[in-house]
Amino acid sequence: VSTVSRVAEPAFVARRRADWDELDRLARELRARGPKSLAAAQLARVGPLHRDVCGDLAHAQSARYSAPLVDRLRLLTADGHAALYGLRPRGRGLRGALFGSGADGSGGLVHAFPRAVRRHAGAMALAAALFFVPLILGALVVLRDPTFAFRIVPESMLKPLAEHYAQGFSGGRSADEGALMAGFYVNNNVGIALRCFALGIFGGLGSAFYLVFNGLAIGAIFGYVASTGAGDNIATFVIGHGSLELGAIVLSGGAGLALGWSIVAPGDRTRLASLQAVGRDVVAIVGGAAVMLVMAAAIEGFWSGSSIGALTKRIVGGGLFLLVVAYLALVGREGREAREARPEGEAP
Amino acid sequence: MEPIATRVEVAVGPRPESALAARSNDRADAPPASGTDAPIDAPNDAPIDTILAIETPEHVVFEHRLAGPARRLLAYVVDLFVCYGGLAVLGLLVMLGAFAIGTQLGGGEAIQKLGVGLLLLALFAVQWVYFVVFETLRGRTPGKLVAGLRVVTITGRPIGFAEAVLRNLLRAADALPTGYLLGFVAMALSPRFQRLGDLVAGTVVIVVERPEVPRPLLLWPPPAPWELEALPARVALDAEERAALELFFRRRGTLGEGRERELAEMIVGPIAARYGYRLPDSVRTLALLYERALHTGRADALPPAPTQVRGATS
Repeated sequence: VSTVSRVAEPAFVARRRADWDELDRLARELRARGPKSLAAAQLARVGPLHRDVCGDLAHAQSARYSAPLVDRLRLLTADGHAALYGLRPRGRGLRGALFGSGADGSGGLVHAFPRAVRRHAGAMALAAALFFVPLILGALVVLRDPTFAFRIVPESMLKPLAEHYAQGFSGGRSADEGALMAGFYVNNNVGIALRCFALGIFGGLGSAFYLVFNGLAIGAIFGYVASTGAGDNIATFVIGHGSLELGAIVLSGGAGLALGWSIVAPGDRTRLASLQAVGRDVVAIVGGAAVMLVMAAAIEGFWSGSSIGALTKRIVGGGLFLLVVAYLALVGREGREAREARPEGEAP
Repeated sequence: MEPIATRVEVAVGPRPESALAARSNDRADAPPASGTDAPIDAPNDAPIDTILAIETPEHVVFEHRLAGPARRLLAYVVDLFVCYGGLAVLGLLVMLGAFAIGTQLGGGEAIQKLGVGLLLLALFAVQWVYFVVFETLRGRTPGKLVAGLRVVTITGRPIGFAEAVLRNLLRAADALPTGYLLGFVAMALSPRFQRLGDLVAGTVVIVVERPEVPRPLLLWPPPAPWELEALPARVALDAEERAALELFFRRRGTLGEGRERELAEMIVGPIAARYGYRLPDSVRTLALLYERALHTGRADALPPAPTQVRGATS
């Protein structure tokens, strides 16, 4: 039998209890209200207290103290661990999430999103191809043979759509109908984009399916409406929000493809580690795509269907397209010095 | 430090402290890990258990109890009730509001459309936002609060926004083909009860335990002189025996008297034989041996048997 601590359990508890209670209180406070709720002196106490409690746990285990005491110290260690190591450098709140806290805005979604898109340019290009090739092919085939569209999208849905676009926008859309449609677009389109990403975990197949299927369906609708002679109207309708909406679906699909590819070809990591690393890497893309889609839904609900002139809509839509491209291509670029100063071995 | 035997025998007791201690010692001989804290992978021959052991940067090991599918289903059902109950109430309010305003001022149809738009937004929030917001801010949804669960990273830290987003987006994959079947299969195959979303985000769902106030076992009534007479001065129980006895005595209140004696009879034989000490009451025998073993070498040891005291003073 190994040597047993000579300190009896009650004496041990009596001596250490004050520290345990203090750490318990501080950890609770930190979890509930964050580091700003504690004074500097209190915050400085957390580290030493936690280390002492770790020592107490080890001592209690080797000294064969009773199970409840060991349990209590175990839970306290877990709480202290979570409180101490769970502290994040970035400030909480919406501002911190969007813009980060660093002077260059690193760590915020506004910059992380286009950076992540550029890191996965290959997956994005593949997603764009999987989406736009069926879209264009579908539209061309349906233009030639309008009944082909009924094989992709139900006839009962296409006919009213075509009639709707044939009317044009002179009647406009009232604000209440705009709100209804915006709600519908958020629920439907953002849901599709998020699902399109999530199902990428199956080797990218789910994302590929969603991209191809949605591309084909949108192409068929386009082609069918154009074949009835309302092509100009639907183009005017789509151009306002199209760059945001279609772009976001492609981006989240691309993120899904990247996620799936991380399992198929994990490189020198295990598949799980690769999945986790890529998941963390592309999550900003999904967040950015969701924000794009909410913006698109607002535009689609209140602007695209309104009675504003076609020329204005096209100019604004074109400008928005350029803005989206410029944002994805340019925002968050690092200067040459920052790139060179990056520690060796970190992925570009 | 002399490396102890690397073969890990896992105790049958309530909590395998000895095994964990051995495991962390193993790691001390291994090349230093690059990360500071890490979940400890159980050896292949370890029993299937629902405990996540985490080694901290301070090189102590603590554990979390992992939550299984049943408990998580309960949390999910509660969340569904909260979400869709809230949605139903909102829908009712919108309908009543539209009706009331429509009859008073007219334009009820417009209000209704506005309300439906709002409801669709709420439906989206329920499906995609609810879980993320609660898990980011609190580490747990209301359902998990009710079920006593919390989401943490596999290194035992609170989850952040990215983890919450990932694990809840992947719900869409876990829910396939229907009723979270895939998620259930993933949990069954994962040693840490992780569904696909947990695997990607590197999170686990743990059972939140409330620390009890430590209450050491008390030998009651105090030992009579005749009981102490034959009790050996040193009793050495190994960790498994000690854990088994402690669990037995802590459960005494919940056992019937007959069952209590029956259990005691089963284990008293070998231990009593080792020390040549056996009272008519086997529970009492175990209690005295346990008490002695616990305090052997400690400052608060039982007073030695009277005969020994006399021997020592004379």
